[in-house]
Amino acid sequence: MDFLFNLLPHLVNGIALGLLFALIALGFMLIIGVMEVINLAHGSLFALGAYMALVIVTPEGGLDAPFLEPWFGIGIIPRYIAALVIAPVIVGVFGMGLELCLRRTYGKDPLYGLLLTFGAALVIEEGIRIIWGHGEYVLPVPKGIRGGFIFADLIWSYYRFFAAAFSIVMIGALWCFIEKTPYGAIIKAGAHDNEMVRALGINLPKLRLFVFAIGTALAAIAGIIMAPIWGIRPQVGVDAVVPAFVIIVLGGIGSFWGAVIAGLMVGMIVGLTAAYYSDWSLLSMYLLLLAVVTFRARGLMGKVSVLER
Amino acid sequence: MKTGITRRKLIQGTALTAGAAAVFGPWKFNRVYAAATDKPILIGLTHDASGQFANSGQAEKRGTIMAIEEANAAGGVLGRKVEYIWADTETTPATGSRVAERFITRDNVAFMVGAIQSGTANAISQVCQKYGVVYFNTNSSSPTESAKNCHRVKFVWDGSGANFAKAAAAGAVDKFGKNWILLTNDYVWGHNTSKATAEILGKLGGTVMENILVPVGTRDYSSILLKLQQAKPDVVATAVGGDDYKALRQQVQDLKLDTKMAWLSNQLDWPDIYGAGSEAAFGVFGATWYHYLDLPGVADFVKRYQTRWPDTRIDVPGNVTYNGYVAMRELLRAVEDAGSTNNISVIKQLEGRVMKAADRMQHHDAVIDPNSHHVQQTIYLATRQDKPRDDTDYFKIVNVMAPETVRIASESECHLESYADTPTYEM
Repeated sequence: MDFLFNLLPHLVNGIALGLLFALIALGFMLIIGVMEVINLAHGSLFALGAYMALVIVTPEGGLDAPFLEPWFGIGIIPRYIAALVIAPVIVGVFGMGLELCLRRTYGKDPLYGLLLTFGAALVIEEGIRIIWGHGEYVLPVPKGIRGGFIFADLIWSYYRFFAAAFSIVMIGALWCFIEKTPYGAIIKAGAHDNEMVRALGINLPKLRLFVFAIGTALAAIAGIIMAPIWGIRPQVGVDAVVPAFVIIVLGGIGSFWGAVIAGLMVGMIVGLTAAYYSDWSLLSMYLLLLAVVTFRARGLMGKVSVLER
Repeated sequence: MKTGITRRKLIQGTALTAGAAAVFGPWKFNRVYAAATDKPILIGLTHDASGQFANSGQAEKRGTIMAIEEANAAGGVLGRKVEYIWADTETTPATGSRVAERFITRDNVAFMVGAIQSGTANAISQVCQKYGVVYFNTNSSSPTESAKNCHRVKFVWDGSGANFAKAAAAGAVDKFGKNWILLTNDYVWGHNTSKATAEILGKLGGTVMENILVPVGTRDYSSILLKLQQAKPDVVATAVGGDDYKALRQQVQDLKLDTKMAWLSNQLDWPDIYGAGSEAAFGVFGATWYHYLDLPGVADFVKRYQTRWPDTRIDVPGNVTYNGYVAMRELLRAVEDAGSTNNISVIKQLEGRVMKAADRMQHHDAVIDPNSHHVQQTIYLATRQDKPRDDTDYFKIVNVMAPETVRIASESECHLESYADTPTYEM
């Protein structure tokens, strides 16, 4: 009974962690699902989103001009909300730029796209180092979501629950967008058969640009939300892209709910192993991946391949 | 017609063979070039610019470069200008090995300086020993680097995890209690530091409730922090460094666990905390230097640093920059005292070398242990500064430990290679 009582907080924590992982993977999933492009720059764009938020929220981010004093003088809440809106838009523009560069690789060996996005990741990371240096920054957050509260004799983080709730909202919003809007229908159709979409008169290049913008904006949002937990450093993107990749493969390439469920599973296993077998905590997600794809190569909810029929 | 070897050919052949043997062998590396006074002394710098210790790597690089520039401003060393080449060792032992090989075999560096991560330092030192290149390990702290991983050519400049543990443990047991949990970064420094902490704790009658391993690259500590709350130890002793430590610290502060538990952080590197505010300096931790030490030379050093590096985010130097600076400065002095860059001559200058406290900006004289090549130096214990003088004042020094009080027995495991087994090297 004691064991179950001690396990419960770790289960709750695992779910919260899983939602954060799912948020990190969403943008990655969208781009792979529609465009069949593995965007290795996802992690660097995740980091860039955090840095953009830093610039908007605090003068320590680099914008220290006198005319901006009124902006930094207002409360943290409007600045934080502004960061959640503006930073993803800025990163989305970067994403569109990246998609324009990728166009020459469409229809060719997928390795070209992979190499290009890998190169972009390095350029973005080094660009961050040049502009902001090697050091670490702390993203200020509103007072109401800072600190801890006591429940069941344990201290829990307000921010973590805020981040988990925000992830649920983002997952829900993206699902509604994909399932309930005509644009979402076009994106789904593009993922299924982009030649048919083109034949129906839909501007495929514009669609890809739009999907890339949303996918990279989602990466930025994840970066902003994770910043108070992981910190802001130039290399923080690596911490995002690797689990994102694991989650996408585990959940099934292109599957929205697969990514969400896989994110939760990864969060649970990492959280539980960290509590009881901590030296296995980082390895556990790879073991989970190995276990699932050994028996189900397409992942939990990936499309059935022709060979499997 | 005569055939066969003539006397002329025999003499020529013997002279050529003797000359080749002097330069190339016969069966060990002997890389010696005639010392040309107009040839710069080239030093290979191995400071991380990426990975877990990127920030610290650049901090120590600022220190080593300052020392080089000051030496050149004073006329160089042995009448020769000191130059450097630098490569990012990526906080990775394999990269450290590769960089060391390239610097020595292709760039012909005279000496090697750097490294924070102990695994990287170990890898570099093995390459340096193979060729006989004197190597100053500026900032790694695994007790093994001056024990079983010691080498004749390697000099370890930072305090080890065992030094810091010995400095802090007795006071922590008395003040907080005997039941400790260890948080251990899962690589050589973490393991050996926690092992040393456990040994010292055992001798003081304490108990290790659990040793929680923290894989390198861990960013989420929520499960570990929940576990700590459930276990309720008297002390949490951490051997977690670099980016891993920054994430841990951020999450501990977020939950205000810094005020709910006693924390012992072994050594706190300045780049790992600078910018986070003085409230981030929780618990008790060790350091080899602090920019607000009331000692001669400290304020001047800080000013020179700020003049040289006006654009860096770390506005004042910390222990990592300090170690880089004093290490490089002492290497260049030893070369000058040796009168040559010959590795054995320089090593003999360094073994047993006493460095005065005032010169080192510390409270006690330091000495390079001739048996382990580890610099035995003052260790400072500090806590959070509750009355900061300014935005950079994070630490309150609570204890100053003389080197002999924090010496550790495990350095007797060090068996330096003999001089005969160390290849001659001179550039």
